[in-house]
Amino acid sequence: MSIRLTDLTKRYNEQLVVNRVSLEIRDGELFVLLGGSGSGKSTVLRMIAGLTTPDAGKIELNGRDVTYLSPQARGVGFVFQNYSIFRHMTVLENVEFGLRIRKTKSNERRRRAEELLDLVGLAGLGARYPNQLSGGQQQRVALARALAYQPAVLLLDEPFGALDVKIRAQLRVSLKEIQRQLQVTTILVTHDQEEAFELADRIGVMDTGRLIEVGAPETLYYQPDTEFTATFIGGGNVLVGRKEDKWIRLGSAALPLPPEAAHTDDGAPIRILFRPERTILQSEPFQDRAIHVLGQGKVIEQIFAGALQRIVLEMEGLRGVRAVAPRAVYGQSVTRIEVIQTGARAAENSFTLGQKMWVGLRDFHVLDPAGLKVLICVSQDVSGQLAAEMGSLLAHATHGPATLLHVAARPELAAQARDYLETVRRAFAAQLPGLDVRVRVGTSAAQILLEAQEGHYEVIALGQSASGDTGFRGLGSTARQVLEQAEVPVLLTQTKRVGLKQILICTRGGEPGKTDVAFGGRVARRADAAATVLFVQTEQTTPEEQKRAARHLLQAEAALAVQGVRGKIKILDGGIIENIIRQADADDADLIVIGAQAPRGRPRLRWQNFATQLVGAAARPVLVVPMNE
Amino acid sequence: MTMTTALKPSRVPRGLFPVGILLAVMLPLILMPLASIYVFAARSGLEGFINAITSPEAQFALRFSLLIALLTAIINGGLGTYTAYVLSKYRFPGRDALNVIVNLPVAIPTVVVGTSLLLLWGPIGILGQFLVPLGISPMFAPAGVLLAHLFVTFPYMLGAVKPVLDELEVTYEEAAYTIGASQLEAFRFVILPALRGGLFSGALLTFAHSLGEFGATILVSGNLPFRTQTAPLYIFAQFEAGNIEAANAVAAVLATLSFVLFFALMQFNKKSARA
Repeated sequence: MSIRLTDLTKRYNEQLVVNRVSLEIRDGELFVLLGGSGSGKSTVLRMIAGLTTPDAGKIELNGRDVTYLSPQARGVGFVFQNYSIFRHMTVLENVEFGLRIRKTKSNERRRRAEELLDLVGLAGLGARYPNQLSGGQQQRVALARALAYQPAVLLLDEPFGALDVKIRAQLRVSLKEIQRQLQVTTILVTHDQEEAFELADRIGVMDTGRLIEVGAPETLYYQPDTEFTATFIGGGNVLVGRKEDKWIRLGSAALPLPPEAAHTDDGAPIRILFRPERTILQSEPFQDRAIHVLGQGKVIEQIFAGALQRIVLEMEGLRGVRAVAPRAVYGQSVTRIEVIQTGARAAENSFTLGQKMWVGLRDFHVLDPAGLKVLICVSQDVSGQLAAEMGSLLAHATHGPATLLHVAARPELAAQARDYLETVRRAFAAQLPGLDVRVRVGTSAAQILLEAQEGHYEVIALGQSASGDTGFRGLGSTARQVLEQAEVPVLLTQTKRVGLKQILICTRGGEPGKTDVAFGGRVARRADAAATVLFVQTEQTTPEEQKRAARHLLQAEAALAVQGVRGKIKILDGGIIENIIRQADADDADLIVIGAQAPRGRPRLRWQNFATQLVGAAARPVLVVPMNE
Repeated sequence: MTMTTALKPSRVPRGLFPVGILLAVMLPLILMPLASIYVFAARSGLEGFINAITSPEAQFALRFSLLIALLTAIINGGLGTYTAYVLSKYRFPGRDALNVIVNLPVAIPTVVVGTSLLLLWGPIGILGQFLVPLGISPMFAPAGVLLAHLFVTFPYMLGAVKPVLDELEVTYEEAAYTIGASQLEAFRFVILPALRGGLFSGALLTFAHSLGEFGATILVSGNLPFRTQTAPLYIFAQFEAGNIEAANAVAAVLATLSFVLFFALMQFNKKSARA
């Protein structure tokens, strides 16, 4: 194994840029790290080279732990996007530099440098200065310079980013040839999918500091595990169906359930991916049994793009089926899919807008199930039990992975905490077989927030003790801090519920209200629960606000319908808390979803009080959704 | 160039009148005073001129000035480059403040610099009161002149080198590190060569300023012939004593030297701007 990364983590100013990245790269492999800007891919590369020090984790090069070694001691070759070749040295001197530092004899040095210049296609240009070369040539020099001293691994950071398309294509071919010839283990970082597909033996997809998925280009394209990869790489249609016996039900269409998804519960959501170019359009119904029929669609958009033609269809038969991609427009009611026709077919098949066509799939792929990722914060008392129960209820209902977290105040308490968590885990094992256990040491709130951020949890579940005899005494300090600073929704529980069938979403009119409707809808969809969207107008609500709220509620209803959630909307007059509680009682809601007004500013104190009051008065679990995103 | 002027003739007025005004101002302000040095030098004839500049006192003053300027350029060359490197590369609290402080000498009147040096090192100075009894007395000695010149010319090297360093990408140095060069090797083989232009013009500028320094020198040197008297001080002293011819001859030499340095600098800048 040439390169092995274990739990590599880096923060800049509290911002997680690289989040527990583990990766093994085989000898002689050309590995591409693919991700958007800010995904942390370059930081990973810089950490391997020693130009950035990781906060945690381990880097091994050829079996040697180099995590804290200087860049000089690692023997890696690094190629920068901006070339960074030494402008006062000739091409030959640039290439020789590594050997000169290593005190290689000058004739040996010269021979090796000439050899490399020949390899990168710059033979005879050794005497030139960098400013006499084109960008592409300069990058070739940089490549030769990085290879001259036979580095253990070659690292390239967006090497072709500054070059124009034609030169880029030529350099790609050269790089691939050189890499094959020298068999040097290589990591290339890029945001360019085409580049990744053309070069890579394997691709690692990165997003917000995490390594999402690793695989061969074809696998990532046709059989990705995750929704992110499916939508990030290439164009794709990702639809959410439900399991129905041996079928995946998508509105009026049904696709055969592949064996790998056989263990899914009946009624559970199943996300399928099909690529636009793996579809067939025809005006007659399909006779061929090998083609999976999706139904009849109406052409609503047609884009000519050279060799291929992109068509968007509205699928009446898929009404109510949620599409992850192409992304639904807010308020859109009929599911849309994207189809690509290539080559001769595009020329002969010219469609008119509104034309009805039958859509068939050559093949499709089932993505790994994903639910809400829940972080359940367990303490060794009643509130911990409550958090565990409601958190696992939420995780179970939404088919999400969950982790039990306990924060030990001191390191010596960690072992005991782990034992305790194990007993909790066993208690919930039947309900949540994949339950994870984690112990952190430090201050509760800070560690909970860190874990939530690092583990990319989507919900933090906290318990609130003491209802009943003693009455509710307000939120504890941990809960308050978590509420104040969490970037994800926080579930506050002070009473137990048996199921998650009815959700009350309390919204505000207008733009910020969309966040909690969207999240509440997501929970409802995954839990297969019914939802009520409630807007409470008080005496201070102006007529414009009322109008906006009414409009917002109608949109919310449509949005829920698109998500496949049974929902109703409600507007009540009077006090906010009283009305929420009245409606919650009327619905017998298992969960109240509220949006947090200003999670980062000072005014948060107001809603914090509001949340506290609601948790105290409602005697139902409350999910507080921050509205900054 | 010609193309542009040909295309936009109306934008380039034939301004003989404004140029005339400019010349009329420049003539008495700058050109005539300079010319008069040479006019006076010529008036005393070649022999008188040579006699004047070969007098032992004048010779000492000129050589001493050149020596001090050379030392100042070398020391501040190193010091200024190092300062520029640290200020450009490292981020630390107080960096902005330090940036202002190192450039301060440009803004302070040179007489004030002389005064402040006297108040530190002089016999009644903060350090001087302890050091002078021990025999360490830089004031009214060549060392004092050097100290004053180092102070006054400090920002010039920095000003010439730091912009070049600031523009050098971080990856330039990082590339050297990944290739295997130590920090020292990276500086020696990669950074320093890139600074050549800045180093040269900075050193030249420092040298020229040191050659003409007067305000601080007159205070800290005590104006002692054959010991601390620089060329500008010599000119001043001779003028005071009424030896216009002696003063003027050295002034002409100094002016010529300055011209040569200045043109060398201009030529160099033009060349590096083209490269």
